[in-house]
Amino acid sequence: MIEISNVTKKYLNLTALDHVTLRIPTGEVIGLLGPNGAGKTTLFKLIAGISSPSGGKIKPANGVWPQIGYKPERLLFPNHLRVHEYLAQVAKLSNLSGSQARHAVDASLAKVNLQSAANKRIKECSKGMRQRLGLAQILIGDPPLLLLDEPSNGLDPSGQSEIYEVIHSLHEAGKTIVMSTHHLPEVTQVCTHLVILNRGQVHYENSMAQAMAAQSHIRIRAHKPLEEFGASLLALHDEIEVKDELIVLKGEAMFMRRQVLVMLLEAGYDVVRVEHNRVSLSEIYAEAVQ
Amino acid sequence: MTQRIVALSGYFSRTLLRSLTGLIYILLSLAYWRVMFSPDQRTPDASYYILVLAAFGVGLTFLITLTIASRANQAAHVAWIVRLPSRVEYLTAVLLTSVLFATALQLLLAALALFRGPELPLTQIMLIPPIWLALNALTAVLALHATDFVASGWSRIILFGLIAIFLVGQSLNAKSGLTTWLILRVNDLSRSMMGSGWMIIASPLNSFSGWLQQDGPAALSNLFSLPFWPFHAIADAVVAGSFNTSQALAPAVLLLYATLLIMLAADIFANKDMDLTE
Repeated sequence: MIEISNVTKKYLNLTALDHVTLRIPTGEVIGLLGPNGAGKTTLFKLIAGISSPSGGKIKPANGVWPQIGYKPERLLFPNHLRVHEYLAQVAKLSNLSGSQARHAVDASLAKVNLQSAANKRIKECSKGMRQRLGLAQILIGDPPLLLLDEPSNGLDPSGQSEIYEVIHSLHEAGKTIVMSTHHLPEVTQVCTHLVILNRGQVHYENSMAQAMAAQSHIRIRAHKPLEEFGASLLALHDEIEVKDELIVLKGEAMFMRRQVLVMLLEAGYDVVRVEHNRVSLSEIYAEAVQ
Repeated sequence: MTQRIVALSGYFSRTLLRSLTGLIYILLSLAYWRVMFSPDQRTPDASYYILVLAAFGVGLTFLITLTIASRANQAAHVAWIVRLPSRVEYLTAVLLTSVLFATALQLLLAALALFRGPELPLTQIMLIPPIWLALNALTAVLALHATDFVASGWSRIILFGLIAIFLVGQSLNAKSGLTTWLILRVNDLSRSMMGSGWMIIASPLNSFSGWLQQDGPAALSNLFSLPFWPFHAIADAVVAGSFNTSQALAPAVLLLYATLLIMLAADIFANKDMDLTE
């Protein structure tokens, strides 16, 4: 959907983004991770068109910019407006009018469970309500690209899980979502792609499935050292390691575990233990930002 | 596009109207009417009526544009700005609101001032709004260039610096301090060049110094005055009571200035990093 090519963003002497190249595929949920100051918010601002890159290009893959729903990290509102007035204005700016606009406002309020606050002035809303309002406004007009900078920030655990349910349903509806968060478990739940930024550079980029699989491994322990038999296992796949009585299967070699076990047993070895070590997202993150 | 601009203009107008600042502008307008068009005084001339209200419109447009641009530049509107296919729509809404709001107050004042005011024939009344509107439009765009909302880098320094140079330049004459200073500097430079044997530069500088002492200041003053011709033309025509053929073009020239400045503002605004206030 969006192609980011070699983008650099400088503020005087500070380089917020340094030659970032990324592809945001249509219909995916990209989890943007990184420590504070990594450049996540700057990247959101560039995609949203609030800022312009100092170098490089950000362009839509099909040449036409999609409508964007943007929820900044610190979303401020015109506090004198009522919740429904604010959303009605978003509807007008999304080319909806009359009954269409009213329907869109009602639907978005229902989606984020905020109907009861529709007539409240925004200044009277709690932090959690404001976060929901921030999410409600991006739903209006059905924009295909959603940018969510820390969408669950300031919410209690139940509020967070509600927000992630909404994101999950948006993904199922075919939306392209770029979201940043510091809550790693939620990233595992809702994101299909993972991008880790650090000091303005992309340090890690992969699909979530591949990210988890690439770092996982299976350890098979035999009852005695494998000696010459080890060599025949090594010949099976590049990602098989053998040391004494231990066999480690990594990456695609993990799919050969059944074959390896059968070979071991047929060669007269007993299998003492089989361990499937799944790496956590926090380990991938820690490795990428260290 | 029209729906979006109208929606934004409506929002800015309502917000200003319901705010303390909006109330102050209304009270300011009434105070101006009370002072400049007091019903207790004798009936003002038509030219006084037109020019004093034009000055009011210019001042009020400038202030209202600064207010609305400052509100539009708040981070509270970021989610709306992102929704627009072009940022220029946002700028247009700010400009439109400023001009319409100020002109509405100006027309209110104009209507009040007609009470025990000059007796104007309908044909003359029809001629007045285009004059005020052209001045208000130009003022609103200049005010936009002065704000953080539109300005980027050195843009406002360059623009208002140029205007200042032209304003100062039009008052040049042979006896003015600026002319004397310039002549002395050119003479110094000419002598220095002559001393270094660079006659090819010293000779034209000497001629330039001579020109500055005779016809130069008047010619430069005329040149610098040229952009301000529409203002002089409108004032002269209003005082005379009618526009001649060339003076009738003056409001159109002001609108041309406004158009060029709007294009410049749109270009700057569309490409700048938005520095929204919280």
